[in-house]
Amino acid sequence: MISTFRVEMSKQLRRIRTYVALGIVVVLPVIMTLAVKYGERGRRADNPEALFQIARNSGLVMPAAALLFMSRFLLVVVVAIFAGDAVAGEASWGNLRYVLVRPIGRARLLWAKLAMAAVFIVIATGLIVITGLLAGGLAFGWHRVDIELPFFTLHESAGQLVWHLVIATAYVAWSMTSVVALAFMVSTLTDAATGAIGAGVGFYVVSQILDAIPQLGAMRYGFPTHYLDDWRALIVQNSAGADLIRGVLVQIPYVIVFSGIAFWWFRKKDILS
Amino acid sequence: MSEAPVIAVDRLSKQFGAGVLAVDDVTFGVGAGEVCGLLGPNGAGKTTTLRAMLGLIRPTSGSTSIFGTRITPGAPVLARVGTMIEQAAFVPYVSGMRNLKMWWEAAGTNWPPPGLDRALDIAGLGAAIDRKVSTYSLGMHQRLGVARALLGNPDVLVLDEPTVGLDPQEMRAVRRLLRDMADEHVTVLLSSHLLAEVEEICTYVVVMDRGRLVAQGTVAELTHTGTRTAYFEVDDIPRAREVLARVPGVVQVADAPPGLTVELDGPSRATVVAALVQAGVGVETVVQRRRLEDAFVGLVGEETTRA
Repeated sequence: MISTFRVEMSKQLRRIRTYVALGIVVVLPVIMTLAVKYGERGRRADNPEALFQIARNSGLVMPAAALLFMSRFLLVVVVAIFAGDAVAGEASWGNLRYVLVRPIGRARLLWAKLAMAAVFIVIATGLIVITGLLAGGLAFGWHRVDIELPFFTLHESAGQLVWHLVIATAYVAWSMTSVVALAFMVSTLTDAATGAIGAGVGFYVVSQILDAIPQLGAMRYGFPTHYLDDWRALIVQNSAGADLIRGVLVQIPYVIVFSGIAFWWFRKKDILS
Repeated sequence: MSEAPVIAVDRLSKQFGAGVLAVDDVTFGVGAGEVCGLLGPNGAGKTTTLRAMLGLIRPTSGSTSIFGTRITPGAPVLARVGTMIEQAAFVPYVSGMRNLKMWWEAAGTNWPPPGLDRALDIAGLGAAIDRKVSTYSLGMHQRLGVARALLGNPDVLVLDEPTVGLDPQEMRAVRRLLRDMADEHVTVLLSSHLLAEVEEICTYVVVMDRGRLVAQGTVAELTHTGTRTAYFEVDDIPRAREVLARVPGVVQVADAPPGLTVELDGPSRATVVAALVQAGVGVETVVQRRRLEDAFVGLVGEETTRA
C-alpha cells in the first residue's frame, strides 16, 4: 500500500498542473493581503467580508479571510482536480490497464489514489493558511486582536488565533471530503477526467444553491455545504459552536456512500480503456 | 502438450451488457516455452480474451489461469507475466525511465528489476529514455512497452500486436526477441494481424472469429490442406471467372477485387495465367498466398466488414 501510495504521490508531484493549482492557492492570499492593505476599507465588521476588516488589526486573521473566500469555490476546484483525475486521468492515458496488470489489488490502488487526494486537500488548504499567515503577518503584524465597536467586540490573543486557525484549517479540509468522494466516485465510472472534476464542482455548487433556498426547510441541514462557513465564529466570535460538530458529521454519509460506490464499482469494473 | 499448460483458457465467455457476446465458450492452452499466435479478424474477441487472461475483465463464465492459478484482478501470479495490451501507454509527462520505475515500484518491488539492462537494450531508446514520453513517436512508445513487458524477466509474455508502429528493423528485432524468449523457456501468447509474423515465430496457433474459437493447432496442422492458393489481379473479373471454371484443378474461385483468389489443386499459376490470357483477360499481378494466410481466410472468410 505504501509503495503504491508513494508512486501515486510521485505522479502528482512530477506534474506541472499540480504546481499551477497549488500556485494559485498560494498567490491569491497574497493578492488578498495586498488588497486589504492598500485597497478601500469596507463598511461593516460582522458581514462575511468582516474578516478582511479585522485582518487590519492582526495578520493572524488574514489566513482566515483567505480561507473563507477560497473555500467557497477555488479550493473546491483544486481538490476536485486531484480527486476527479485520480482514476479517470490514468484511464484516459491508457495507462490504467498497465497498472492493473501488476499484482496490485484494485482496492489497494484505489486506497492509494484516495489517500493521495486526501493529502492534496490538506496541502491545498494548509497552503492557503500558511501563505495568508506569512503575507498577513508581514502586512499587519502577528499580534492579538482587540476591537471595541458599538455593536462588535473582539478580544483574542495570538495563541488563540493560531489555535483557531488550526481548527479552521482542519474543518475546511474535512468539509471538502464529500466533494472529493463524489469526484473520486465519478472518476471510477468514466475515463473522462474533466467530467469527474466537473461533477465534483457541480455537486458543491448545487449544494450551495439548494442551501440558499429557505423553503427547503430542515432538508438544508443535510447539504454538505450548509455548515461550511460556520468555523468563522471561531475567529469573529472567539467561540466554536455545535454547528462545527454538525459540519463534521454531515460529511460522513456522503463520504461513505460515494467512496463505497467507488470501491464497489471499481472492483468489478471491466478495464477496457 | 503433455504437461499442464502454463496458460489455460477454460470455456471462457464474456458478454458486455445485454447484447454483445465478445467471447463465446473459448478453450485453449499454451504449453511451457511455446509461442502461441492468437489470430482473428477485428472483433474476433482476441483482445477481450487477453484482457480476461490478465484480470482486466471479469469473465461472464469460464476462467483463465496461469501456472495453474486462476486469474483474478491483481492475482499474485501476474508478477510472473509481462504484457503489452494494444498500444503501449504511459504517464505522458514523465520520462521513459521514470515510467518504468514507477510501474515497477507500484507493486512494492525494489528498483532496479532483474532484466532491466536487457529491456533497455531491446527498447534501444538511448538518451531518449530520459525524455518525457509525450515527446515519443508511436514506435518509441511500442519499444518502451516491450521493454516494460520484459522487466523482471517474466516467465510468461502476453502481447497484443507488439509490432504495431515499428519499422521493419524493429519488427525483426522483436521477432528475434520472441524466439530468444521461447528458447529460454518463456511462454509467449501473441496476438497479431500479421500472419507472416505469426507463421514465422509461432509454434502454435489459435484462430478466433466472432468470439468463437474456430481452429487451433500447429502451423503445419492448420496449413495442411493439399491445395495452394494464388491471387490474380485481372481486368475483367466476370470473364476471368468463366475461364477459370473451365480450367481443370481449379477448386474454388473467390472475388477479391480487383482480382480473384483461386484455390489450385494441380495446375500451376503459369497454366492459369495462360488460360486467362488466351481468353483475352488481362492479368496484372499474380501473388502466391502465404500458407497460413490461406488457412486463415479459409477459416474466417474474405469479408472485411462484419456486423
